[in-house]
Amino acid sequence: MSATTVQVRPSAERPAGGWTVVCAQELRELWLGGRGLVLALAFSVLLSVIAYLTATNQALNFLEQRESVNLTLQAAIAVGGLLALLAAADTISGERERGTLESMLLTPVSRLAITIGKLVASLSLWLVAYAITIPYVWFLGRGIGLVDDALVTGLVVGTLVAVFLASLGLIVSVFTNSNRVSLSVSLFLLLALYAPTQLPSSAQRGWAGESFLRVNPVTAGEHYVGKIVVSAHSWHEDASWLVAPLVGAAALACLAAAVGARGIRLRRGTS
Amino acid sequence: MTLAVEADGLSKRYGSLAAVEDLSVAVEPGEILGVLGPNGAGKTTAIRVLTTVLSPTGGSFAIDGVPHTRASEIRRHVGVLPESAGYPERLTGEEYLRYFARLYGHERGSARAAAASLLDQVGLGERSRSLVATYSRGMRQRLGIARALVNDPSVVFLDEPTLGLDPAGQRQVIDLVRSISSERGTTVLLSTHLLAEVEELCSRVLILNKGRVAAYGTVSDVSRRAAAPRSATLRVGLEHVQRARSTLAAAGIGEVAATNGRPGSLTVTAGGDAPEAALNEGLRALTDAGVPVLAFELQGARLSDAFLAMTGES
Repeated sequence: MSATTVQVRPSAERPAGGWTVVCAQELRELWLGGRGLVLALAFSVLLSVIAYLTATNQALNFLEQRESVNLTLQAAIAVGGLLALLAAADTISGERERGTLESMLLTPVSRLAITIGKLVASLSLWLVAYAITIPYVWFLGRGIGLVDDALVTGLVVGTLVAVFLASLGLIVSVFTNSNRVSLSVSLFLLLALYAPTQLPSSAQRGWAGESFLRVNPVTAGEHYVGKIVVSAHSWHEDASWLVAPLVGAAALACLAAAVGARGIRLRRGTS
Repeated sequence: MTLAVEADGLSKRYGSLAAVEDLSVAVEPGEILGVLGPNGAGKTTAIRVLTTVLSPTGGSFAIDGVPHTRASEIRRHVGVLPESAGYPERLTGEEYLRYFARLYGHERGSARAAAASLLDQVGLGERSRSLVATYSRGMRQRLGIARALVNDPSVVFLDEPTLGLDPAGQRQVIDLVRSISSERGTTVLLSTHLLAEVEELCSRVLILNKGRVAAYGTVSDVSRRAAAPRSATLRVGLEHVQRARSTLAAAGIGEVAATNGRPGSLTVTAGGDAPEAALNEGLRALTDAGVPVLAFELQGARLSDAFLAMTGES
């Protein structure tokens, strides 16, 4: 063993595009490490079962074609968002738990860049889930001129919901020391967000019920998808239902960036 | 000359708990400073503050002349092997170093070259394409040291690099630390529990206890200041034992007794205000009297004795 000097390329105080380096590494670990592939496989199995039940099983198929597409798309948005949430919830707390966070904090890459890189990488799970959904939507919606609208709506709403949920998972991850706590809290929050969809339809009507659905980015997004796909409304007719997903995604992404930039640190007793 | 590390009254508090209190040090370029202390003494916190991972709650410091307020710039000047550092199991050693080189601003090509060069330097060249999961603890520590060097730092902080290693692994790491200092001219702050290695490697030593500086200076100064020798063990041939005892008694050095279970060995305990001088006087008396002394060792003049005396460890 001998030591000779390695020259470092002269560079700015902080490496430009540090977030892309972090993002690329996260993507490599997620997809080449196999975790993303396993989740994507599980997602495609789930979607296949849903498609089978809604399209080919005569005994169970009580849905109209539009409702089959809607159900598949909403399942894709829900599960794709869940996958993004799980990936984001593992980011900071996972590094903390594995003892790798300190080494990363010692580099000149800013904590904001670390946050953005990890957040963007966790969204890749949603994008892959969406790509897997495309052939199912095409198969279920063919012949009634629905496929294009359904796919665009699903992409827009699903991306907003995924950004919202991934940001939520990342914020939780910043404040927790262990992965188990981070994942548990994130899943609890996800269930709380989806809880209104399980309320009786009478509770979802009226001024109070509709407001309750509108302010929740998840339920508002699902409602908007239903209006476009099932009720065949135009894009702008129910655009007000997109406000909550849009504002929620933007607000939580900004909050995650702020929390990450200031809150990613070692906690006492952690490495 | 700009100091490699300069801290003035540095403190880190968690509420009422003072993890580090009033730490002042000045480390010169190329020096190896041993940082010692019992568990919980504040070594790791001090290193985390000096490497900008934690913010100080009081005092100030500079690395290579860069003040602590410019944390990002300081990170370009330091390399760190954190205590109990974790490693991504699914990456190869080469991928791991390449990633960190990129985080420090290397382009893809130079990151690859830097990773290969560093892996060779720490003796992991042949395992560069193996997953970190397959590395032994010693290999991981050497990988961590390679990562600490990826930005060609002027100051390297090594927090217990030999922790959990077998003697051969400890020796490899110690040799590596020595080569980092001698061949690169890099300043090294070495936190360790291996006192013998600190005596061998370090020019100066900092002993922390309960967050405060218990001692700071050269190894010999600290050893003497903390535990001035009051006794010595000497060994003479069996036929000279009686003559040695009578010579020492005549010189009025102090008490002389046979060392338990060691024929030919005598333990001399000096009294008075200058015991070390008295013991040396006794040695001179023996040589003047023509008693052949086979061995003479002052007790309580080793770094380990100073460490125990200053930290209250027993």
